[in-house]
Amino acid sequence: MKSRTFTGIMFCMPLIVGILAFTVVPVVASFWFSLCNYPILDPPKFVGTANYVELARDDRFWHSVRNTFTYVLFAIPSGMAVGLGLALLLNQKVAGIKVFRTLFFLPTVVPLVANSVLWIRLLNPQQGLVNTFLKAIGVTDHWLPGWITDEHWAMPGLILMSLWGAGGGAVMYLAALKDVPGELFEAAELDGASPVQRFKNVTIPMISPVLLFTGVMGLIGGFQEFARAFVMTKGGPWDSTLFYCLHLFNSAFTEFRLGYASAMAWVLFAIIMSATIIVMRSSMKHVQYEQ
Amino acid sequence: MRNRTPRLIGFFILVLFATMFALPFLWQVSTSLKTEDQVGKSEFDLIPKASTIVFNGDVVQVKPVERKGDRQVVEIIAGSAKGQKITVLPSEIHLTPHLEWSNYSEGFKAFPFFRMLRNTLVICFLVVLGTTVSCSLAAYGLACIPWKGREVVFWAMLATMMLPAQVTMIPLFQTFKWLGWINTILPLVVPAFCGNAFFVFMLRQFYRTIPASLTEAARIDGATDLRIWATIVLPLSKAALAVVAVFSFINAWNDFIGPLLYLMDDEKYTLAIGLARLQGQYSSDWGRMMAMSVVMTLPLVVLFFLAQRTFVDGIKLGGVKG
Repeated sequence: MKSRTFTGIMFCMPLIVGILAFTVVPVVASFWFSLCNYPILDPPKFVGTANYVELARDDRFWHSVRNTFTYVLFAIPSGMAVGLGLALLLNQKVAGIKVFRTLFFLPTVVPLVANSVLWIRLLNPQQGLVNTFLKAIGVTDHWLPGWITDEHWAMPGLILMSLWGAGGGAVMYLAALKDVPGELFEAAELDGASPVQRFKNVTIPMISPVLLFTGVMGLIGGFQEFARAFVMTKGGPWDSTLFYCLHLFNSAFTEFRLGYASAMAWVLFAIIMSATIIVMRSSMKHVQYEQ
Repeated sequence: MRNRTPRLIGFFILVLFATMFALPFLWQVSTSLKTEDQVGKSEFDLIPKASTIVFNGDVVQVKPVERKGDRQVVEIIAGSAKGQKITVLPSEIHLTPHLEWSNYSEGFKAFPFFRMLRNTLVICFLVVLGTTVSCSLAAYGLACIPWKGREVVFWAMLATMMLPAQVTMIPLFQTFKWLGWINTILPLVVPAFCGNAFFVFMLRQFYRTIPASLTEAARIDGATDLRIWATIVLPLSKAALAVVAVFSFINAWNDFIGPLLYLMDDEKYTLAIGLARLQGQYSSDWGRMMAMSVVMTLPLVVLFFLAQRTFVDGIKLGGVKG
């Protein structure tokens, strides 16, 4: 039996080393840095909670928090709604469903940077596809949104862009919809439930675990939004797309305030954990697990 | 008849959405094949065209240079009269369908695509190799060998999944700097050889479904665990390993923040970081930018079509059962 323990440890050795070297040790170090003044070249110097106190007073920090919450609150629910809509459309019995499914999923395969480059162009106020379309349906020049170049429209622009990736969720919802037993719908129909009632009382509860899963994953990813803003807007115009993680990255690697940035990372962790727990708790009553 | 109408409406909406989702792709490819003066046009036109005039009986491609009163000075940019400037009436300039492939060839010059492709593929290859081997070894250790402490390792691994990467980013950067690994691919590749919590979890769930009688029989015959892993478990888990390979490949191909932090020299850039830099430098040259973004997207689209089953499996494994 002793040798089995040894074998087991040997098989898991890379994993164990990885957990220690790439998570446990850095986590401890990161927490220590967050309590230090650490301007990259000098060794860290303990300053207690000074970094956290400074964060609370930093307007740009709060601005980045607001931006990130705005993004999460709009992009995640609307992405889920579009994804669910697409899944319902794909759940029809019509020809060519596989082609459509592929088409909706394809945008999620596009590399983030290539996607960003494409969308800078699509959102271009003068020559972009989005505004050309709006113009074609009769929006006058005066009302055309300035998307990523106008501080009020930059965030909506990024949210719109995120909807192009809604097909990833759609594929998951579709798989869940296919697993819903047809008898449930037939029974509801016999009881005189309208299509809307059937959707609300059968479809949604039956796929609620997947909805919750994608919601939580979207939330976690949304709070960590970074690369798109980095490539497309650099946080601008006027900090209107300064996401939390972009601000964190800049603090660490352009301003070289490692202690401050580490404190930001821990606050981010706290935000993500609380948001996840709140969503899980509040959805507990509504999410139906089989059996 | 009564049943038909809602179905038709549903199908119509489906086609409408499909068009909306396809348009950015079509626009991207179309822009990548447009001439400079056509890219700037604000009309919606998916078919790439070029300005042409009839010159000495031939249709030749021209570029507008300047306006002179009600006339237009154009420069001939193709054919034997190349470089010649002539003044024409605007009505003499016609738009004819034309694919401007030079966006690609010029793009490849400004953007050392093949070098970046090689850099990216080297990283991808090592990441895929490291991830599949280390994850499947660890998953075997967690699923098929009973040993004291494996629950501890399993739960510790799950706990690491909760942690946002930003928390460990700074200490890891400092560590890699201390090791002298900055400006090498090591920080991007070595962690892959130490497993990935998500993939280990997925493979472990899969390995638990392999009947113990199968592995036990081999063990009684005197096979070592390494042998059982290699000859019984690996062949049985090809589909799950394919999911790990495909998704870790995509993650490595798309990784932006890793190369951004650790690769300093142009010669070492990956496609993701190279394209982001190109966007900073040639932000006005849209035809070329679109051409390069097409080139970066295409391999993944091809991979997607080759491994569509694996993708769908992976999404279901990650979503429904995870």
